[in-house]
Amino acid sequence: MPGIFDRLNKEIKDSQRQEGISPLDIAQLPPAMRKIMRLMLREVQAPYALICETMEKVAEQERLSRSALDDALAALTEQGWLIQIGAGEKALYKVNLRRKEGSALMSGIWSSLDTKLKKDSSDKS
Amino acid sequence: MSQGKIVSIHSFRGGTGKSNTTANLAALTALEGKRVGVVDTDIQSPGIHVLFGLDDEKMGKTLNDFLHGKATIREVGFSIGENLTAEEGRAKLAGKKLWLFPSSIKSREISQILKEGIDFNLLNEGLQSAIKEFDLDYLFIDTHPGLNEETLLSIAISDALLLILRPDNQDLQGTSVTVDVARSLDVPNLFLLINKALPKYDFAALKENIQNQFQLPVASVLPLSFDIAENASGDLFALRHPQHEWSQALRGVLPYILNI
Repeated sequence: MPGIFDRLNKEIKDSQRQEGISPLDIAQLPPAMRKIMRLMLREVQAPYALICETMEKVAEQERLSRSALDDALAALTEQGWLIQIGAGEKALYKVNLRRKEGSALMSGIWSSLDTKLKKDSSDKS
Repeated sequence: MSQGKIVSIHSFRGGTGKSNTTANLAALTALEGKRVGVVDTDIQSPGIHVLFGLDDEKMGKTLNDFLHGKATIREVGFSIGENLTAEEGRAKLAGKKLWLFPSSIKSREISQILKEGIDFNLLNEGLQSAIKEFDLDYLFIDTHPGLNEETLLSIAISDALLLILRPDNQDLQGTSVTVDVARSLDVPNLFLLINKALPKYDFAALKENIQNQFQLPVASVLPLSFDIAENASGDLFALRHPQHEWSQALRGVLPYILNI
């Protein structure tokens, strides 16, 4: 039977796994924030200056002002969708994608197949 | 943003000829002198390696090894142009800059990925690193059919998405769903490719009809061909039979890729 620390450890790991953004979350963001997230996906990590530069290229009606951009970055970071390293103008942002959870059912099917294939191969030799 | 372009090739349903089309299109692009990578993100049912003449023994390091921290992305990249087999089509890739990033076909490794899940940060870093480390002009992503999480990630990072469909009502409805998702992810270049069209159809009318239905360009219409079936993924058909009507129709997609 697992002890309290094992359970706590599992809970922490589970909550960490839930963090991060999924492509479907990106699809539901406002256009300017989607633009930021697409940039982050391609660059993996980007300095604040590059994000500002990218925002300048967004269509005027969708473009965020500098203060609105700062608020958006803060919100994305708060949400755990971006990871901020450093602060202010020198900050570096890194995208944080949600992990794909494993499936015990699918894994079980493949494990059974693996075992059977090994057995068949040893029976033949 | 990195210079290399990511082209995801996808179909909502299986059996559309996605891997065959991806491999041939990547090969045609490499023949144009481009540096090309092909990634098999269909981790649970990999297959595109067969078209490049790889099997379990020849494969070496795989995307699974990368995702488990057992290999760098550079080690996973398998140079097709330097490891040719005797087949007439693939032989034309001698010296060409084409790398395959295969997924493992070992049942234990597929099982491990399915059990443990996938670190998408690592997968994305691997794809972006592949472009930089191999100085790729194009990275083609062969996706799993339908809309699973790997596929959605592939679509989200793509410069272009080529959706393959057959002239079949199930394919049409499924493609419509994928188009909606791709549009909501702001994929800059979206186009369709109709495959397995019956030769008796009027291809021009079919193309116009599908274009109107989706409000997207149809890059080409490929005929249903017994010759392709007979090839049985044994070689790169478009390179082996460049004058065949299927190969000629596939070449019609190239300008869309080269103009991204």
